[in-house]
Amino acid sequence: MNNINDAAEERSVMNDKIQNSSAVDNTDPFDFDDDPLGATGVSRKSLVIFFMIDTSGSMKGTKIGELNTIMEELIPEIRRVGEADTEVKVAVLTFSTDVKWMYPEPIPIEEFEWVRLNASGVTSMGAAFKELSSRMSRNSFLNSPSLSFAPVIFLMTDGYPSDDYEEGLKALSVNSWYKFGLKAALGIGNEANDDMLAEFTGSADTVVHAYSGNQLAQMIKIVAVTASQIGSKSMTLSDQAEAELSDEDVYASKQKMLGQQIQNLVNQNENDNTDFDAGW
Amino acid sequence: MNELSIGQQVELEYGDKATVTGIIGSGGQGKVYAVDYNGRKWALKWYDITKINDPDQFRENIKKNINDGAPSNKFLWPQYLTKVCEDGTFGYLMDLKPESFDAFTDILNTYKLKIDPLTGQAVRQPVRFTDLRAMVTAAINISNAFRQLHRVGKSYQDLNDGGFFINVDTGAVLVCDCDNIAPDGSNFGIGGKPGYMAPEIVRGIAKPDVQTDKYSLAVVLFKLLFRGDPLEGQKVVKDVCLTEAAELKHYGAEAVFVYDPENVSNRPVRGIHDNVIKFWKMYPDYIKDAFIKSFTVGLTDTNKRIIENEWQKMFIRLRSEIISCPCGRTNYACMFEMEDRLTYRCPKCGMTFATLEFSGRDNRMPLYIGSRFYQCEIDPDSEDYAAVAGMLVENKLKPGVLGIRNCSELTWNARMPDGEFHKVAPGKGCPIWQGLEIDFGKVTAKI
Repeated sequence: MNNINDAAEERSVMNDKIQNSSAVDNTDPFDFDDDPLGATGVSRKSLVIFFMIDTSGSMKGTKIGELNTIMEELIPEIRRVGEADTEVKVAVLTFSTDVKWMYPEPIPIEEFEWVRLNASGVTSMGAAFKELSSRMSRNSFLNSPSLSFAPVIFLMTDGYPSDDYEEGLKALSVNSWYKFGLKAALGIGNEANDDMLAEFTGSADTVVHAYSGNQLAQMIKIVAVTASQIGSKSMTLSDQAEAELSDEDVYASKQKMLGQQIQNLVNQNENDNTDFDAGW
Repeated sequence: MNELSIGQQVELEYGDKATVTGIIGSGGQGKVYAVDYNGRKWALKWYDITKINDPDQFRENIKKNINDGAPSNKFLWPQYLTKVCEDGTFGYLMDLKPESFDAFTDILNTYKLKIDPLTGQAVRQPVRFTDLRAMVTAAINISNAFRQLHRVGKSYQDLNDGGFFINVDTGAVLVCDCDNIAPDGSNFGIGGKPGYMAPEIVRGIAKPDVQTDKYSLAVVLFKLLFRGDPLEGQKVVKDVCLTEAAELKHYGAEAVFVYDPENVSNRPVRGIHDNVIKFWKMYPDYIKDAFIKSFTVGLTDTNKRIIENEWQKMFIRLRSEIISCPCGRTNYACMFEMEDRLTYRCPKCGMTFATLEFSGRDNRMPLYIGSRFYQCEIDPDSEDYAAVAGMLVENKLKPGVLGIRNCSELTWNARMPDGEFHKVAPGKGCPIWQGLEIDFGKVTAKI
């Protein structure tokens, strides 16, 4: 947890400074804005959703077209997902021959506008992992002054990396934000390798696959909505036994919950073969 | 049918059909749709049954709640169940929330999003209480709603900011999401929302019941007044990332109240928790003490948690201590100075305020044009917390003469400047003078 701890120390030093400087301003008890209704919004915990999107040549045509449209529709749908507890921001990293961010920093979801993506070139996934790792830091994209949730990282690809993805993944795997983050991956079409995607997410449960445009829309929605809600929505009790939970019990529990929920939804959709005229 | 589409028909338990007309929102257990049924609009809660441990049992409980009826009109209570679809999904109909109510979540955010139908862009619209009395009335109503629920032997189980709609002009409250309400001691799988769950639920050693409701109620009230998280301070922010283990620690076994008088490790941080820092200074000690008790000894000793009736009494008192000074300053009496034992003075403009003493109460009510008392203050048995019973006004025929107008439906007896008691019928009033005494029946008041 090196990244996180260093940053924490830096913060507490900062806090001390702020508190020392404010210690003198309490001479007149009424010399401040004293309207009990003069509230600003409650302080929200920050959550960044990273979309890592394959824009290599094989995505060209209907795949990238569909993906663009789905994402355009998805963003407004999940606008209120953070409610009063979480400020949700979105960052989009695309990788083909080059690795590029859609915007230079994460954008609050309420203001986010999707920029339609084009596809060409090779699949530099390893480079994308490295780039993600360098940005997932208190000094870069995860610089919210308030408390943060570990990020959601959602990888979408239709092929096999053309560079050394393992080296990139190695760099990523020592990043604490990645370690505690909620990871999910979507394989598009027949070429995508689910085993490799499971290496990225850490479990097969959080890897889904789409073979058609219709499935693509469903899967993106299922994963993005489920992942962004975990932590801010009411939850069901996972365990019926009433025993004191330890750190080990809760370790990666959100990732497990995400896996379960994604699998439930995926199975439900697969079983939904009812004809339109049946069941009335 | 995990999701419904617009135009789709849903069959109700007794055969009629409701037609889906739109989507209202989504929650942890499913989605809420707008539907047409029987010539009017309703809200339909539709479950994602994969998120419910035992759907049959859950449905039976809703059925029982429908039969029992709502504890009061403060609840958007389930009205009709739908049939169970072949795949096991189902839902229930409830009333739509009236337009004049805003989500508590939006009040906490201080804005709501309106979507421009042409561009699809979200525009922020401010959501704020228009009057301090309305905010305190909301606190009274929230406390009272849970008192009513607990009095019928049920617990809410999932108390959080998403569960209320509030009228920001009046403080009227509607409790929604009533589907997890169950007899005290029963639980159908819901745990609660992070930040609102009692520490013993977070720790895994208890399930939601009336005692954990009391904890969550204190969180809701704290957020309403202080606009922040009672357990998120320096100690928590230092961890930077709220991992599962950090959540277990800071909201479970090692929870520390931000204003714990004996533990300063988790004080609010300037720049992050400015609301809490600012508002904590403005409240009288009896309110602060109640929150201190809730979030110190009340964290672990469930019997030390404040009961709803106590909250209700405190907020009725707090509302009666609001002073709106003609200089524009509105605040609680504790933020004004005392000229003498019976008179408040505005520290900004020097204006003074005489006070009225009510029988059976330690505090005196400050008097100014527009100050008022409510039905529940002159009749201890009344559950009407919004009806104004008396208001301080200027005599229309004699400018400059102030008096109390009887806005209630009762006839009062008041000692007038001639020294004699006279009847004060509804709509009439009595002048304020040194010897004023009013007999309301069960309660008396005097200058």
